[in-house]
Amino acid sequence: MHIVYVFFILFVLVAIGRLFYLQIIKHDYYKSQANASQFRSYEIPAERGQILFENNGELLPLVLNERTYTVVSDPLIISDKDATATKLSEILGKDKGEIYDALDDDTVRYQVLARGVNADIKDAVELAMREGEIEATFAEATSKRVYPYETLASTTLGFVDDEREGRYGLEQALNEELSGTPGRVKALTDQNGIPLLASGDNVSVEPIDGQDIVTTLDPTMQKQVELLLEKGVKNANSDFGDVVVLEANTGKIRAMASYPSYDPSKFREVEDTYQFINSAVARPLEPGSVIKTLTVAAALEEGVVYDGQTYFDPSFYVVDGYTIRNVEEDGGAATRSIEDILSFSLNTGATWLLMQMGGGELNERGRLVWEDYMDNKYMFGQTTGVEQGFEETGITPDARNGDALNLRYANSSFGQGMTVTPLQMASALATAVNGGTYYQPTLVEGYVSSDGEYTQKQPEVKLDGIFSEDTSNTLVQYMITTLSNNSYTRPALRDGYKIGGKTGTAEVANPAGGYYTDRYNGTYVGFVGFDKPEYIIMTRVNEPNIGGYAGTTAASPIFVDVAKLLTDELSAVDGE
Amino acid sequence: MNMLGNKKSRSRNPAVVSRNISTVRRNQASTRQASSKNNVGHTSAQVAQKSREHAPDYMILVLALILIAAGAIIGYTNSPGLTEVRGLPGDFYTKKQFIATGIGLVAFAITARMKIETWKILVKPIAITAIVVALAVRLFGTPIYGAYRWLDVAGISVQAAEVIKFALVIWLSYFIYDRKKHGDLFEKDQLKKVAIISAATVFVVAGLQSDLGSAAVMVAMIFSALFIAGLPMKYIMYSAVGVVVAGALAILPSAYRLQRVETFLNPTADCQDAGYQVCQALISVGSGGAVGRGLGRSVQAYGYLPEALSDSIFAIIAENTGFLGAAFVLLVFLELFRRLHKIAVASPDTYSRYLVYMILIWLASQTMINIGAMIGLLPLKGITLPLISFGGTSIIFVLAALGICFKISRSTDLRAAQMKELQEGSGTTAKRTTQSERTSQRRVYRSI
Repeated sequence: MHIVYVFFILFVLVAIGRLFYLQIIKHDYYKSQANASQFRSYEIPAERGQILFENNGELLPLVLNERTYTVVSDPLIISDKDATATKLSEILGKDKGEIYDALDDDTVRYQVLARGVNADIKDAVELAMREGEIEATFAEATSKRVYPYETLASTTLGFVDDEREGRYGLEQALNEELSGTPGRVKALTDQNGIPLLASGDNVSVEPIDGQDIVTTLDPTMQKQVELLLEKGVKNANSDFGDVVVLEANTGKIRAMASYPSYDPSKFREVEDTYQFINSAVARPLEPGSVIKTLTVAAALEEGVVYDGQTYFDPSFYVVDGYTIRNVEEDGGAATRSIEDILSFSLNTGATWLLMQMGGGELNERGRLVWEDYMDNKYMFGQTTGVEQGFEETGITPDARNGDALNLRYANSSFGQGMTVTPLQMASALATAVNGGTYYQPTLVEGYVSSDGEYTQKQPEVKLDGIFSEDTSNTLVQYMITTLSNNSYTRPALRDGYKIGGKTGTAEVANPAGGYYTDRYNGTYVGFVGFDKPEYIIMTRVNEPNIGGYAGTTAASPIFVDVAKLLTDELSAVDGE
Repeated sequence: MNMLGNKKSRSRNPAVVSRNISTVRRNQASTRQASSKNNVGHTSAQVAQKSREHAPDYMILVLALILIAAGAIIGYTNSPGLTEVRGLPGDFYTKKQFIATGIGLVAFAITARMKIETWKILVKPIAITAIVVALAVRLFGTPIYGAYRWLDVAGISVQAAEVIKFALVIWLSYFIYDRKKHGDLFEKDQLKKVAIISAATVFVVAGLQSDLGSAAVMVAMIFSALFIAGLPMKYIMYSAVGVVVAGALAILPSAYRLQRVETFLNPTADCQDAGYQVCQALISVGSGGAVGRGLGRSVQAYGYLPEALSDSIFAIIAENTGFLGAAFVLLVFLELFRRLHKIAVASPDTYSRYLVYMILIWLASQTMINIGAMIGLLPLKGITLPLISFGGTSIIFVLAALGICFKISRSTDLRAAQMKELQEGSGTTAKRTTQSERTSQRRVYRSI
């Protein structure tokens, strides 16, 4: 036999042995090697839940999704970057140099070239790939939030960023529920990462779409409230303000507006992230005299004072070497009723109430009682758990530890030296006037699952039996009187309606210590209802630049406008 | 006398012959063997009738067509994905291959009818053509990765190395035949001639065309030719040293080639760069498993493994059809080469024998280099797998060469072949052969 033929026979034997080794013995190894490079895992994004609202039993969209595409490239495997950049600049209508620079970075394997493009551009990109005019560039399906109500409730709703994460507001707080669970495709792909559809080895997990959220917001009310807030903030020459309209007997937030706001469809253009913030939950303040409503309710409930009781008000108290005076109305030393404490907004009256809680003097016993109300009944110093991003807790003073505790506590009885968010204030007042039930404040009416099932959420009672009906009724009456005694707020009155409220003009703490002498926050908290308070309206105007007391001249007009809106235009408060 | 080549007389004999053989040799009973055994019974005088033709070995054509079909099926089933990725028409590859196969079969039909003597006349024209092609590819060819391999002739791409290899077959067979006839093959002048022509050819193919695979095939052909012609081993060893030195000189200046050698020594060390193709070939083969992913189910062909349908097609076959398919292909090649070897052994004259041997060496070495690279036994070379790889030039010239073998198979001295087989059998049975048979054996010995 010829040597070449012998050699070939040997070769065939060795080759078959080698094939046996590679294909049978080492098959698993090479299979996994193959899978490591050939299999690529892709996420199939779940459709983000929409935000809906209920209108006459019908669910209507407040925030929608629209199918868009993201154009991405893998620069590492593009050999002719110039040609790809040229063609892409044509398709995307972008500067070629910019695209070239993006493609020139081989350290990035996922270079986003354009976001939110439509199906036409996606088709053009795919055609160019097939024609070989561009390399390693794909249009990935994604969805974009669409806002039929434009800027409406933007600070409350938040937005969805480029990474599909909810940012701020409801979108952030309920990101998990809205996002759903993305599906996965594990596909055999060619070297460019394009799945080979013919392959039977593709593994996929279907995505579970996010839940739709039915919000408690009433877009019509929200819109009007926003306009009224904007008008009020501008009139007061303030830089920001907010309004919360809360159902007193359910905890549902019907409107929550903060000004300034922004257009969520153009969130990338917003330069100052403060504009994203919902100040009603994220910017606590020293609330000022609005707190006195809660001090009165606490004292009444504790039985240390009673309706119709009078006391001698010396018009000042010296506490821990500091003199507590009255600010808004100072009628001098006089005999006052409990109602006068609200009506004349007596700091000394609030201090006197705190003394009654301690058995007639400022002491630890009284402080502990008031602390218990603030922390455990009004739920201050902790987040409410409303479905909002960046919710703040506020601070209440410690009753036992620290210096000048009596002074601090006296201050806290009229809303200084402690901070709350407007929503905390509204929820606390709701508790005080609704017969003593603390409802979890919420923006969620219910959820619609991805298979279309609507589950309504029941009002969540966080605390019950905090106040007796008598205490609530007394407080309601005092607040009605307080409102009607004030020429600014009297126009809100309607025959047959229960409308009451309380101003607050709070000194602004100087971070360097003490308080500014010329800076105040204006607040107003009140209620509107028929037989009983149905809505709590809380408004805050940050450091207004307007004559008179901030609470009266800056905040109360907004309250009056919103109260009128509820009673006159929206018939939100009907007689039934 | 008149019995050889006479079908009637052959069919009359079997019983007697079979009995004869069974006493001599193993008792196999395939029809093919039976027909060979037939002839053993004839007298030595019949050996002289070698110029008479008999039925050719159709199995050569059948095996070639099996290999072509294997390549076509792999190409056809995997090409929809391949063409789509590159935006080519779906039949881009298969159409070209079909046309080339058609031309190749015509070439086969022509060479299968040509008289063997004609090739002696064609030596010079073919050699000149090869030289022209070699020069033209350097002057007019388009370099791909710095290698001049392709020449466009009237819109058809011709792979120069395939022409040169075919020419080398024709020239080498004639040269050693002619020199042996003159008895001066091993004189200095002639050896010098071989050395110069060999060096020039290898230089052109390896140096200018950067086609180390074809160069290796050519070196194998030249050495084998000299070996067949009976050049003393000492010369072969000297030349081997020369080739190694020349090879080293050719490889060292080229980073590209050097890298390939390094890659061979440690193929999986650098899967990202130099070893990429080797790694991808091994992944293709290994991931095929016992029975493969299924026809048309290649993944490696889609951008991972370069030259999926041409140089790397064996790896894709292994991926698609697994161990069974890959081993089948190897066995078909083995059977084809066994037949070529048999034809060579039984060739009617030395010139024919040299021709068949040169063709066998060409195809066998090319097959080994290609498959060896795909399974990581040999360094990777850009070379086609005969008959299976997509690539027009290769398939045309390989079929033309097989046509020559087919022609020679018509006039093989089957008795001599049988003698050869006998001689390879056990010593005890060989002793029982007749005197005339032993004479034939000796003749066969000498001729190899």
